[in-house]
Amino acid sequence: MSTDNAQPDVEDESSLISVDAWDRIKHTERFVFLISVAFVLTFSYLFSRAPVISDVTQGYHGLTVTILIWSIFALGFNLLLGQTGLLSFGHAMFFGTASYATALFSIHVFNEPLTIVIVGMLSAIALGAVAAVILLRLHTVYFAIVALAIGQFLYFLASNPLEGITQGINGLEVDRTPLLGVVDLDHEYGGILGALVVDNLYLFVGVFFVAVVMFITRIRKSPYGLIFKAIRENETRASFVGLDVWRYKFAAFLLSAGIAGIAGALLAVNTQFAGVERLYWSISGDVVVMAVLGGLGTLAGPVIGTFVWFYFKGIVNGFPTLGDYWLLMLAVSFTAVVWAYPEGIWGMITDLTAALREPKTLAAKVKSRVTGGSSTEGSNGGDR
Amino acid sequence: MNNRAIHETTNSVRSEVAGMTLDAAVGFVFIALSVASLYLLVAIGLSIVFGSLKYVNMAHGVLYLGGAYIGLLIASREQFGGLLSDYGTIGLGWGFVPALILTPIVIFVVGVAMERFLAKPFYDRDLLDQLLVTFGVLIAAQELVAIVFGRTGTIYPRPEWLAGAISLPVIGTPPGMSAASTIRVLVVTLTLVLIGVIFAFFKYTDYGLAVRAGTEDSEMAEMLGIRVGRPFLLIFAIGAAYAGLAGVLGGSLFNVTNSIGMEIIIPSLVIVIMGGVGSLRGTVVGSLLAGLVFAVATVVEPSMTNASIYLLAIVVLTIRPSGIFPSAKIGQ
Repeated sequence: MSTDNAQPDVEDESSLISVDAWDRIKHTERFVFLISVAFVLTFSYLFSRAPVISDVTQGYHGLTVTILIWSIFALGFNLLLGQTGLLSFGHAMFFGTASYATALFSIHVFNEPLTIVIVGMLSAIALGAVAAVILLRLHTVYFAIVALAIGQFLYFLASNPLEGITQGINGLEVDRTPLLGVVDLDHEYGGILGALVVDNLYLFVGVFFVAVVMFITRIRKSPYGLIFKAIRENETRASFVGLDVWRYKFAAFLLSAGIAGIAGALLAVNTQFAGVERLYWSISGDVVVMAVLGGLGTLAGPVIGTFVWFYFKGIVNGFPTLGDYWLLMLAVSFTAVVWAYPEGIWGMITDLTAALREPKTLAAKVKSRVTGGSSTEGSNGGDR
Repeated sequence: MNNRAIHETTNSVRSEVAGMTLDAAVGFVFIALSVASLYLLVAIGLSIVFGSLKYVNMAHGVLYLGGAYIGLLIASREQFGGLLSDYGTIGLGWGFVPALILTPIVIFVVGVAMERFLAKPFYDRDLLDQLLVTFGVLIAAQELVAIVFGRTGTIYPRPEWLAGAISLPVIGTPPGMSAASTIRVLVVTLTLVLIGVIFAFFKYTDYGLAVRAGTEDSEMAEMLGIRVGRPFLLIFAIGAAYAGLAGVLGGSLFNVTNSIGMEIIIPSLVIVIMGGVGSLRGTVVGSLLAGLVFAVATVVEPSMTNASIYLLAIVVLTIRPSGIFPSAKIGQ
């Protein structure tokens, strides 16, 4: 019975029992895994090739890869702000550093996609360990602004004094080599697989996406993740019950840095380029907007936020007259979300589904779960 | 080690300056001071609002941005891009001095509106919410400016009397001042006067006293019959006017684009935090340090010019996490 309900049709209100079972299933890790795999497999097709949705996004397969990569970045950022309550205004430092490390390693040492992505991630973690020593002594705004200062310092360092290594604004090229020496990332599939994922690069990024989603789900559901949440809610109280707050903040910071590093490295592999603008504050600003707009502290929120951001940047931007206003619209809606609706777009969706169930008096129950931080993964498939 | 590095750089500056004339040294000092002045004019408002109202205002950059563009509209006639591209040259063309006087007044009014409609609803909310919402406002404002005025930058037309070395009515160019450009001397002098005004405001006026009382304990002050809302509004708007003035001065020292709001607010916030939140003295010292490091970098290692201020902040905050003057009361 329970397996029958694993289909993502939350609007199915045929019987009370199915809704109950659904509430139970949607929080399981296996369900999150299935839904994220299904999302990766269908996203590119639905967005850029399916004839049913709209023709303005037709042919934007490249954009879907970018969205997946940035989703990883936003998820990593969200792990720090949404879960642990630390706002870093300088997350571009991990993104850009990983990009550079990936490019430099591929040029000077060894060029294989998986290896260089791991090198990129490790470099971001190493930077995180250094930055954490300075940052974790500071709180709230101080933390955010000094993170921004470190990010800007690295940006100006990379753009001018280290120009010999980073090539400044010209950037570095990353040659694309076969994965593990055998799998060609540019290989395009035919048939049904070709219709769904197009090429190996998309699959490569998609695997990382699913892995990061699963990793974060595991953290969220573990006692370890609960401690992050406890620190977010009240740091003093967390230390009173005997937790070493610094250690957990350090861990959250490194995890977030590492995930941001994966995104930066993947972007270098995807665009075959690493440039200094990836260290600039606007990258940090973008990821803040994405995560907050989508919904902080949830799993689907940052992904939705990233999608909305790139929909505006990539698609709306091309519209006549309206296109000029894409960033203005995003900035205004970001401000409105922070002002009036801190739960973001995903919060609106969950509130809506809760309202739809009102007659069945489940609203209160669902609401308590939503505010408890665990998201309902339900309408994932239907929203995009 | 960092101290030694700074010491070494100052030493090499000294030897380099010793080889040059007094004029060059004075010019160097005025570069440092004028950069410090600009940061200070923006940071002082941020510092007061952050210290006494516990409100972190990234939208302060909007005031600088607005000041630069309003000043430009008053001072000259320009052909803008964006939505204004079809209207030919726009502006009053009254010259630099009217811009210097009128812009702060306009931005003062903008500051009043900002306090009432943006800041006030957020006084009781989380600092991070304040940071995020004002960040959103700043991005939106910059984008609006880009749409209306276009994305290409412009520069202030510099009137003749502002170009070149300073020249006073009776004595002409003072000895040793030939390398100090008039605009930089003007910026430094104006800033000195205005900072003096702020300190005097806190020390000698009833409104300043009310702000200090409200900072200490706003509930208690209100219970004693002091309406702290109005002094807070006034001090917010004065900080805004300073940022607007900085916009005009910064516009004539550097260039004017739609992104200058963010470009000035990052170092200014860093300076406020480096100096110690709520400490005016700390903000002044922080700005002077930043200006000095900036000027030293331009002489010693030009490629490090932009990175230097952030390096300074990282070093200072590593040694003193609460800033240079951590526990100073507002108005000191």
